[in-house]
Amino acid sequence: MKYLTRLTYNPIDTDATLRFLQVAEAGGICFFVGTTRRWTDGRETVELSYTSYEEMACEELERLAREALCRWPLERVCLLHRLGTVPVAQVSVAVGAAAAHRAEAFEACRFLINTLKEQVPIWKKEHFADGKTEWVQGE
Amino acid sequence: MTGQDTSHVCVRFFSVLREVCGVERIEVELPSTQASGEDLLDELEQHYPQLRSYRPTLRLAVNHTYEPPSVHLRDGDEVALITPVSGG
Repeated sequence: MKYLTRLTYNPIDTDATLRFLQVAEAGGICFFVGTTRRWTDGRETVELSYTSYEEMACEELERLAREALCRWPLERVCLLHRLGTVPVAQVSVAVGAAAAHRAEAFEACRFLINTLKEQVPIWKKEHFADGKTEWVQGE
Repeated sequence: MTGQDTSHVCVRFFSVLREVCGVERIEVELPSTQASGEDLLDELEQHYPQLRSYRPTLRLAVNHTYEPPSVHLRDGDEVALITPVSGG
């Protein structure tokens, strides 16, 4: 299988995910990792929590992977998203593309994360240091 | 049993809508077999007026596929109310 997609309530194993992307036919791998950031507009985040319409999100992740494989000459693609609580500096999302050459890997990887953020039914809630919480509304 | 002239759909609520409406999943009977997503939203607003302010940015997913509000709903469809997503 040329793609790996997953929703998980466990920490994302970035080493194992990168190993999935490392194949003999690829010379360039672009691997993006999103993490929980501590500060936003002066407010301190303690953690993010993610919920999802899981059945549809799994299908959308697969659809995105297949679309990337159609649009670029890729050897491997991955899209993984963590659900539940993700503390500061920990990984919430990992997407990547492996290609013979780096140009396609960069383009595909940017497409994957940008489109994931627009299309996949996952929502995050900010948990602030002052005890308040807030659903993040996407674009 | 399904009435001859009605549709029953399952509606899923997530994130902020789940909180403000206080429900995760409901069954809705639509008074027509020609009901659209728009008709469903009108019906839902009757019972959950809190939905009104979210409606301009709401997307619908029918059986796991994004559809416009004009989508024709069929008996047994699962319709999810999708507020602007914020993964990643």
